[in-house]
Order: sequence, then C-alpha cells, then structure tokens
Amino acid sequence: MSALIRNLGVRIASAGLASKHVLPSVSALSHRLSSTAAADAKKPEKPTVRKPDAVARTHLSDFGRYVAECLPKYVQKVQLTAGDELEVLIAPEGVVPVLQFLKDHHQAQFTNLVDIAGMDVPCRENRFEVIYNLLSLRFNARIRVKTYTDELTPLDSACEVHKAANWYEREIWDMYGVFFANHPDLRRILTDYGFEGHPQRRDFPLSGYVELRYDDEKKRVVCEPLELAQEFRKFDLAAPWEQFPNFRNANPPAEVVQPATPPKK
Amino acid sequence: MAGREAIKRAVQQVRPILSVDREEARKRALNLYKAWYRQIPYIVMDYDIPMSVEQCRAKLREEFVKQRHVTDIRVIDMLVIKGQMELKESVEIWKQKGHIMRYWKESQDPKPTDFLSKFIQGV
Repeated sequence: MSALIRNLGVRIASAGLASKHVLPSVSALSHRLSSTAAADAKKPEKPTVRKPDAVARTHLSDFGRYVAECLPKYVQKVQLTAGDELEVLIAPEGVVPVLQFLKDHHQAQFTNLVDIAGMDVPCRENRFEVIYNLLSLRFNARIRVKTYTDELTPLDSACEVHKAANWYEREIWDMYGVFFANHPDLRRILTDYGFEGHPQRRDFPLSGYVELRYDDEKKRVVCEPLELAQEFRKFDLAAPWEQFPNFRNANPPAEVVQPATPPKK
Repeated sequence: MAGREAIKRAVQQVRPILSVDREEARKRALNLYKAWYRQIPYIVMDYDIPMSVEQCRAKLREEFVKQRHVTDIRVIDMLVIKGQMELKESVEIWKQKGHIMRYWKESQDPKPTDFLSKFIQGV
C-alpha cells in the first residue's frame, strides 16, 4: 500500500513538473518571436551590402584634410568615394611632391604603388586623368591620387619616387599617349612595334585603323588600312531602361571633404 | 595685333615637352633625320629588306616631308620623340622585316584619283 501511494505521489509530482516545464517554454518561444519581429523592424537593410565604417570615414577625411593643409599648392580637392575611399585631386605639376610626401610622411607611409590607371574623357579640356593607387602596409590604408593632363602636356614621371611606376607609366604612354617627362625608359609596352595610335583613347575605333594578314607572295605579314563605315563610329551609350533601380537613392559617388577652417582673407 | 599677343601669351603658359623655341625643335628634327640617315645602311643589311639604301633614304625624306605643315613646337617634339622611339626599335632589331616594309605600303593599291578609275573600282 505504501508503495502504491509512493508511486502515485511520484507520478503526481512528475506531472506537476511537466506542467511547470511546459508553461515557461511556451512563454519563452513567444518572447523570442516578438524579439525577432522587433529586430526586423529595426534593420531593414540587406545584410549583404557592406556599409562604410563611420570611424574609418572620419579618420580618412581627417587625413585628407591634413594632406590638403600640408600641400596647399598642389591639392585641389579631397573627396571620399564609395563611402570610404579617399581621393586626393592634385595639379599636374605636383605629382612627384605629393607622392613623395605620402611615401615619406611618418603618419602615411604609402610606400606601395599598386597601380597607375588612365582615363580619357574627350569632352574635357584636359581630357586625360591619371590615377595613382597607393597602399600603406604600415597602416593598412589605401589612397588614390588623381591628376589630369592633355595630349601634349607632359606629366612628371613618378619613377624617382616609386620604382614600380616605370612599367605603369609606359603602359599609360602606350594606351593613352600621355608623355612622362624624366622617365628613364619610355617606350611601348603592350602594342606591337610599328603600331600607330593609342588604343585606349575614346576616339580610337574598336576595330583599329589597320589590319594585318599574311601575304603568301611576299612571305611576310602585311599591314593594310581598314575601311571604316561612318555610321559605326557613332556610339549611343545610354540605355533606354533603368539599369540599377535599387541604387536610385544610393549615396552620391563622391563626397567632398571640406577643409577644417576657412582660409583667412 | 592684340589677338596675336594673346595667342603668344597662351603659348607661353603651356609646359614645353622638350624644346622651348622653334629653333630648338628644328634642331631636334634635323638630328633625328641625321640619325635615321646614318642608320639606314645598317637597317638594310640587318633586316635583309629588298630595298636599296637610296630607296630607303627617299622614303625617310618622304616621311619627314609628310609632317612639313606642322608648326606647333609641342607637336614637333612629340613627333620627334615617336620617331626616336621607332629608330631605337629598328636599330635594336626589336622590329621584324614586315614592320620595316610597312613604310612602303606595297600591298595597298593607291587610291584612284581620276574619274574613270574611280568608276571602275566602284568608289
């Protein structure tokens, strides 16, 4: 008898325990549901889009301002593009001093020249843009230095500052025809010997001006001019539809970093 | 007259490529011509092209005379620089026979000038 009572008691106790267990778990679930709903309301952005770090942005704009203060003769504009990429726009005569400053300044140490890029915008007065991409391994930072020139104005070669500039400048010379003064060995690097023109200029036709073929009678490659139909030279690059509707309200591509104090007059 | 002075000032403001005045640009062009002229026998020998030295010199003269109308000093400088690079490519035998023979445009028919040949070619 006593055993039976003990059994019952145990069973009742276990039932009570079970009911106690069930109730809090249900309430916890409902709590979790409500908390996820609140989080969803708070963060509507897509998690795949990288957002620039606000602290890094302030550091970059401070550094840009500092560069502009140190080199007021050459720096014309400082801007942040794509949220957190610092760009320094300089006058063409300031290429060597600015790169030297960025390389040798203790707080910058942009010792690594990653690339030199060219850009051609024929409607501008100075149609070519030359863009130096620099990397500071010491501070894990990148900076972009931009300058401009036209077909006949030489730029100073950056070879004396960065050895890596040698081939990059040859490439710019070959592709755009921008002449670099004081370059140790300026000659073609990508095009064939005897090639005329600079293929990355916007007015260079996609097919080129000449075509090559092997001539069986002469036993060598001969070069013949290409007939260009005039209608193929007209480019309409604007698409009739909207290409990136998701980015209709995106950030502006470049934000100008204003100098800290207005200049005294 | 004022307009001419304004042009002069604008010209003075641009940065020179190599030469600062016409005389210097002329000297550079002449030097390039002389360098090519002296190298032609070696080029003919090295590349084994089916042209005589005299023909090559006539071609050299033709290529220089083609740019006779150029008066802008910077354009002259740019042409001299490109000619110098080409000379180096030829002398160092970076080019090949076909590149040298490209100056003569042998495989191209001259463009028709008179009416009848234009009509026959359908231009």
